[in-house]
Amino acid sequence: MALALEGSQALARTVALCRPQVVAAYPITPQTHIVEGIAKLVADGQLACEMVSVESEHSAASVALGAAAAGSRAYTASASQGILLMAEVLFDISGLRIPLVMTCANRALSGPLNIWNDQQDSMSMRDSGWIQLYCATNQEAVDTTVQAFRIAERCELPVMVCVDGFTLTHTLEPLELPSAEQVDAFLPAYTFRHGLDPSDPRSLGTLVGPEHFSEVRHAHHQAMMSAQTAIEQADADWADVVGRHCGGLVESRGDPEARLGILTLGSVLGTLEDAMDSDPELPRARFIKLRSFRPFPADALRKACEGLDHLIVLERALSPGAGGIVGPEVQTAVIEMAEPPRVHNYAAGLGGRDLSLDLYSRIVQAAVGAERPREFAIIDADPELLPESDR
Amino acid sequence: MNEQPLHHLDTLRARQPRFRGLESGHRACQGCGEALAARLTTEAAGPDVVVANATGCLEVFTTPWPQSAWRLPWIHSVFGNTAAVAAGMEAALKQQGRATQVLAFAGDGGTFDIGFQALSGMMERGHDVLFVCFDNEAYMNTGVQRSGSTPHAAMTTTSPPGELRMGKRHMKKDILSIIAAHHIPYAATASVAYPSDLRKKVRRAMDTEGASFLQIHSPCPLGWGHEGAKTIEVARLAVQTGLFPVIEMERGELIGTLPIREPRPVSDYLKLQNRFRHLFASEYRARKELEHLQAIANRNIERFELRGIGSEAYDTEGADTVHRGGDRWA
Amino acid sequence: MIQIPPGAFARPGTSLEFKTGTWRVERPVHQRRAAPCHSACPAGEDAQAYLAKVELGDMRGAWETVVAANPLPAITGRVCHHPCESACNRAQYDESITIHGVERFLGDEALRQGWSYPVPIPGAEAPRMAVVGSGPAGLAAAYHLLRGGCQVTLIEAMPAAGGTVRTAIPHYRLPPDVLEQELDHMLALPGLDFRLRTQLGRDVSLEELRADHEAVFLGPGRRKGREWSADFAVPGNLRTGLQLLEAWVAGGTLPEQPRSVAIVGGGNTAVDLARVLRREGVEQVHLISHQRIPAPGVPDDDAMRATYREVSQALEEGVTIHEHRGVRRLILRGERVVGMELVHMKKLEDAGGRLRRVAFEGTETVLHVDQVIPAIGQDVDGTGFESLVRRGYMEVEPWWGTVNGQSGIFSGGDARSDHGTVSEAVGDGRRAAAAMLRYRAGRQLEPGVPPEPIPYSDLNLSYFETAPASKEPVLPPEQRLGLEEIEGGLQANAVRHEAHRCLSCGDCLACDNCWTLCPDQSVLKTREVAADGSHYVFDYDYCKGCGICAHECPTGYIHMIPE
Repeated sequence: MALALEGSQALARTVALCRPQVVAAYPITPQTHIVEGIAKLVADGQLACEMVSVESEHSAASVALGAAAAGSRAYTASASQGILLMAEVLFDISGLRIPLVMTCANRALSGPLNIWNDQQDSMSMRDSGWIQLYCATNQEAVDTTVQAFRIAERCELPVMVCVDGFTLTHTLEPLELPSAEQVDAFLPAYTFRHGLDPSDPRSLGTLVGPEHFSEVRHAHHQAMMSAQTAIEQADADWADVVGRHCGGLVESRGDPEARLGILTLGSVLGTLEDAMDSDPELPRARFIKLRSFRPFPADALRKACEGLDHLIVLERALSPGAGGIVGPEVQTAVIEMAEPPRVHNYAAGLGGRDLSLDLYSRIVQAAVGAERPREFAIIDADPELLPESDR
Repeated sequence: MNEQPLHHLDTLRARQPRFRGLESGHRACQGCGEALAARLTTEAAGPDVVVANATGCLEVFTTPWPQSAWRLPWIHSVFGNTAAVAAGMEAALKQQGRATQVLAFAGDGGTFDIGFQALSGMMERGHDVLFVCFDNEAYMNTGVQRSGSTPHAAMTTTSPPGELRMGKRHMKKDILSIIAAHHIPYAATASVAYPSDLRKKVRRAMDTEGASFLQIHSPCPLGWGHEGAKTIEVARLAVQTGLFPVIEMERGELIGTLPIREPRPVSDYLKLQNRFRHLFASEYRARKELEHLQAIANRNIERFELRGIGSEAYDTEGADTVHRGGDRWA
Repeated sequence: MIQIPPGAFARPGTSLEFKTGTWRVERPVHQRRAAPCHSACPAGEDAQAYLAKVELGDMRGAWETVVAANPLPAITGRVCHHPCESACNRAQYDESITIHGVERFLGDEALRQGWSYPVPIPGAEAPRMAVVGSGPAGLAAAYHLLRGGCQVTLIEAMPAAGGTVRTAIPHYRLPPDVLEQELDHMLALPGLDFRLRTQLGRDVSLEELRADHEAVFLGPGRRKGREWSADFAVPGNLRTGLQLLEAWVAGGTLPEQPRSVAIVGGGNTAVDLARVLRREGVEQVHLISHQRIPAPGVPDDDAMRATYREVSQALEEGVTIHEHRGVRRLILRGERVVGMELVHMKKLEDAGGRLRRVAFEGTETVLHVDQVIPAIGQDVDGTGFESLVRRGYMEVEPWWGTVNGQSGIFSGGDARSDHGTVSEAVGDGRRAAAAMLRYRAGRQLEPGVPPEPIPYSDLNLSYFETAPASKEPVLPPEQRLGLEEIEGGLQANAVRHEAHRCLSCGDCLACDNCWTLCPDQSVLKTREVAADGSHYVFDYDYCKGCGICAHECPTGYIHMIPE
């Protein structure tokens, strides 16, 4: 049965269906409605869970870490500065191979202060060793959240479910929530294999010296790479339950015959699809939805790019002084193809900048019309607003 | 000599009539007060615990992979989040319906400074966690830098004495009062020089429901500049001089002290340690700082009413009395 | 090959693979050192060792420890001047342990319980040894020879055993039933051929003894009164102090009843006699001594030889002591003494560095007394071994008691010029017995070295608490009229209290300090006593040699030695 729910409320109810035993969070816009929703469910007795309202995101991640290490299913959520304050703990969680799930309600980073949506926060945690799954819709956010617990627990890796702030979290959309029975069957009670247990007292978080550290990192990397299978499997298995796919690692949509591809992460996909659909005169494009940014699914991506002449990578974050973050990775992946597409890399929609329908034609023109791949650009930046020296 | 076949010692070790929470083979320096404090704490706590341990000497010297000196479930995450990790473990165990107790271990850096916010939050939320601060009064793991716990006038590598300075300019943070202001059911200090008292307080804290706090004065021979053999002597003098008050607080109120039978002059304590060596130079500012530290000790004695009345079984002289057969320490 | 698990967790206690013992430059070792009480005991008793057993409630074991050195603790516990207590480290802390009270209790308890001496029954082929004299020296020699597996012929000229202990110690210090019981107990040991009324030189010759035995111990004591006069005057009724004392001890009466008496001398005989005279109703009893009343701070060579306890009790009982006085002349009416002239005297070093008594002119005083009794000591009665006596004494090698110039003949006790107490006699007998066993075995007698006591400064006093000593009940002076023993014994709880107070100098107290304070879990506790007598072993695989255990050992039992 379809419900009209705000994204955050849908996520709160989904998280509750996953029966976390400990939820720790510190409020930050635009994540607040999610944890408020969970707190209310706990307060109403609808979720048996320790809701730990901590004094900082650093502690939120730490409480979740401690709870998961002690063998409980744990969850946290944050955004923006909160993600950065968590940073050292996030690296530690993944390095210790502790499974937990976090929602990142994607938001720009300070400074200057900006509370609106882009993906600079999760992108800044690109190398933290977490699985990152990006959601294009609230329905995907709901389904991905359930899958995330399965993936985390199977792989003994933490999973960050990236949901665009406001665009998804604060938007009412009709969607379907799974039933408790469906989720319970999909997520049986979980035991952490190498958790803290007085009957088998392991030491976690040891000091690893130069003679072993490369192997530890190698193992982590391998676990991340292997997680691709688990991500696809979870999506397939969940589809068996609810009849909905989220797209596995990479999903191709739009016109399969098109020679032009547009790769996106998150909710911008819907805007671009609407734009293409709104005007049959516009060039057709194949949309490549990169759902799993980490692990980076190079094989799946190459497959999705077959037959393309041009590939536009549209990001909502950047690496100042270099350009895009995802673009260069995509470029590196497709270069292995027999006939690789020409890769064009743009950023747009930073700090909540509205993504209007004409974005589609702007990026297509910029890319296809170019003699050679244009340099990286924040394509919706208005030079008029800048002094000459900064244009 | 006591050369005995190894298998004999192995058997003997396995049969020790106490819980060996912290096993031999750890890499603490000779005479490490923190290692002793941790050994005593875990001994008193017993095996049905989980421990969160901050970054620091204790973490480093106990767990160089693939070895661990712990015989209890233990986790180290990062430097400043120990109380939060412990809170998470407590929340998990509570939700799982398990009675396993949660301990958090940190040095003074992980307690007074970088770990303070998480500690304050944990206590405010009332998690049933015993947070133990092994207070060795500086950042020892990184090579003796000053912390919020470093006593006034002590020399560290970041508070060196010189033409313009006489060691640390600031005071030692009164952490226990800050902790007590959280209105937690039990907060206490202890010293490795009084192991029975220490263990009793660990047990008491663990029996207390809610957040509890124990600050254990733990000399660092390397950082303080004294012989490893004198760790206990130095620790005892810290208590006997009044520089380290051994007290107990419940709900923010002082409810007990280890009375000082006969206060010793602070110089007895200071002169054993290189970190205070500059206070014994024959110059006015050295004399002044020496008197300053004596005044701090006097103020402690006055404030916590540490002065004992006569001889008591529980005072600075009576609390470490030994007897044949060792029942005293049990 | 170890493989890295997810997150690189480690298994419990795996640090044992890392042997931190390699860091060590010094190692702790257990090293038992003599307690001062042990070093100071003339009889060789290890009080610390038996106090430890008392504290554990092992009274019989404690007694066995006592009698490993001294077979007569009920006697010495009463009569010894207990130098152990003067030496006791605890004296510097609060008060010394009442060791003699514990010794006495154990001696009495053994008699009450009938505990048998831990002495083997000698076989028919056991070596035969001879002992002359059944005073404390002879008894101790005989006993230790029996302990060493010998058969012993013990001859005694008198009709009863005990020597001076029987003849010259007043019953108020040593009740006769205690004396009889303890002597009987010891003399009943198998392998002992005890012959009373057998005098050397009359009933048997030294040569005969030497011929029939492997070695001979001579414990003749000193029974020959020295000649005494003052300014060449000798009163007609002169009797020596020892004669009077023996008469009183034997019969309970004195031949005369003077009103005032001066006893010349400062030894135990003089003091004992002074006290006997007070009991016999003599109003004024004066004691004239060249030396001072023994007290803490008075150097040994300037103190009366009588023990502090006896002197102070004598003072309590109304004896007047004239310190630093000598007798210049007697004032006689005919042969009867009516007084004496005293003069202040003191020992001073002369130009050659020797101590000489100097009388100070102009300090003369007259003391009116009815009787003068010299108690200035006795010489050895050398009947039967005249050639071995020099200047009234036996000259012996000080540790083993080998009589100078002799082979197989040993001596000790009062017969030596330098010994005059029961405990010294017991010690002499004990060491001589050891020497005799070595002599028989053809072993060299290495020079004996008394055990070096552990000094007070080597203890860690932080771990002890002050506690008053248990005091024996003492009869108030006004009630000390008859033969009743003046000092009562300690009760069992007081004895345990004293044992509990013992600082256990130089020996393991099993206090757990090392076990408790080792940061490295490298002191392991043993269930039974470990091979070295402690309750702990060091695990040198892990001991880093920090030295905390040694520094904090309350009793100085742990030492750091270089690797």
